[in-house]
Amino acid sequence: MRKAFMIGLAVLGFFVLSPQRATAADLEKLRVSIIPINDVAPLFVAIQNGYFRDLGLEIDTTPSAGGAAGIPGLIGGSFDIVYGNVVSVLLASQQGLDVKVIAPGTKVSARDTDTTPILVRSDSGIKNGKDLEGKSISVNTRNNVIWLYARAWIKATGGDPDKVTFKEIPFPQVEDALRQGRVDASFLVAPFSIVSRQKPGLTAIANPYSDIQLGVDVGQYITTGKLLSAKPETIKKFVAGLRKGVEWFNANPSSDALLTMISGYTKTDASILKSIALPAMPLHTDLPQVKKTMELMIENKLLPGPLDLSKIIDPIAL
Amino acid sequence: MSVVGTLEGASSKPSAAGSIRRRLGPRLYGVLLIAAILLFWEVSSRLGWIVSAYWPPVTKILWAAISQLGGGDILVSLAATLRRALTGYAIGSVLGIALGILLGKSKVLRIALLPLIEIVRPIPTPAVIPPLILFLGVDDALKIFAISLATFFPVFTNTFAGVATVDDTLIQTARTFRTSWARTLLRVVLPATLPAIAAGLRTATSLALVVAVVSEMVAGSSGIGYYLVEMQYALRPDLMYAAVMYLAITGYAVNRLFLVLEARLIPWMGKT
Repeated sequence: MRKAFMIGLAVLGFFVLSPQRATAADLEKLRVSIIPINDVAPLFVAIQNGYFRDLGLEIDTTPSAGGAAGIPGLIGGSFDIVYGNVVSVLLASQQGLDVKVIAPGTKVSARDTDTTPILVRSDSGIKNGKDLEGKSISVNTRNNVIWLYARAWIKATGGDPDKVTFKEIPFPQVEDALRQGRVDASFLVAPFSIVSRQKPGLTAIANPYSDIQLGVDVGQYITTGKLLSAKPETIKKFVAGLRKGVEWFNANPSSDALLTMISGYTKTDASILKSIALPAMPLHTDLPQVKKTMELMIENKLLPGPLDLSKIIDPIAL
Repeated sequence: MSVVGTLEGASSKPSAAGSIRRRLGPRLYGVLLIAAILLFWEVSSRLGWIVSAYWPPVTKILWAAISQLGGGDILVSLAATLRRALTGYAIGSVLGIALGILLGKSKVLRIALLPLIEIVRPIPTPAVIPPLILFLGVDDALKIFAISLATFFPVFTNTFAGVATVDDTLIQTARTFRTSWARTLLRVVLPATLPAIAAGLRTATSLALVVAVVSEMVAGSSGIGYYLVEMQYALRPDLMYAAVMYLAITGYAVNRLFLVLEARLIPWMGKT
């Protein structure tokens, strides 16, 4: 009687546990830190279309709204892969942190899909970097990619970036700060750059990425050199899955399926997303573009000298 | 009979209404002020006095808050935050009380530990969250550590000060009865220090909640702090303010609960 019960229990256990076990054992887990914005849409495409599952990977995304936890979390071992921006990666590497770029994230490839303008109040009369001298401009974080290209644009249009006050304001608060005159200009990203211009009063005077360096690689997927040498196959699979996601994204721009999916992880209303022109996503990291960014960093004293990019950007990304 | 009845009724009614007015009277102005401010908010948003994507009408916020009751992200996030806050609070409080009493009674420990505690104490906890990510990651370990740290100091400081002011007669009396050191601590010093400890614990409740939310805003993927930032980025200010509203209610409720517990468990609070 008791034996029969035990056998019954074992059979039951097998049926209850086996499907879960099969998936859990077969799939290798990767923890990816993301920022919940349009940039990481190809990653979510690849997750939802099962590209990673087919390769034996399970992707666990951890959103970090401000993006501040990304690289420290990667070095601390909380994440396997982090979505970050080119300037932060080069800075981290310069500080001796073991970071490797394994895939491109976003690229400003065409002017008409560049949704990152510098905005001013329409009645302010500010038109270029020279007009901004003695005034203020907002960036989301100092010493990052936004800050760097804002400085480069000010210089390129006749101003001295050292005579402009840079204020740190998170993207969601920029429109209010600008309208209330707490800052004179703002370098803003989508969807905020789109939504804030739906009401009158604000004007875009420049698109620094397109103006300074059309083709700039803005975002990257990063891992540590340690993980890359310990699990090269896993990383290879991740990059392959992500590339399939990019291909699908580029083949289905502004489709309802894509917008619903972006709306799902950003929680932004699909009607707002519809008004944003989505840029094509890159398949390969563009080394000369990263080099140009590095030179800008040296010019703005973010880096003391050139870095060996072949050591930071793994061949797998190229 | 009936006349007497009416008379009684008549005489009791105004007194009841009067007592309600007397009880509500001063509060009524407070309630009216809040209502006026909310009305002003509603009108300023509806009529477009303030042009901003982050200034939704109050009714829209209330509606968002109510619709969350049917099972929404806010309550799930709030539960995650409360779980972290409570865990960190418990750890910080136990350590604060234990070290407060021990340091209060032991000169050796005081000399060894007090300088370290005094150096760490003035550092605002939120300031150490970003560097701590390197050591503790971005999950519960980091947040619970930060909450414990924030909880520890008010509890420790109050306990430590409370032990110092325990009436020496009590200690001498215990000593006369040859009560052991441990028993003296547990049966004499601890009860006499409880009111001071309770004051520290109450200060720490609001700190625990604040640090839980801040730590989730800096690093995280769950909890009400993360939810607030997420909704800002998602352009959903109605849900963001709804979350703030739930946080305010929680903070208020926790404080009330603490006062009730304090009155129940430490009836000698406030009496010397």
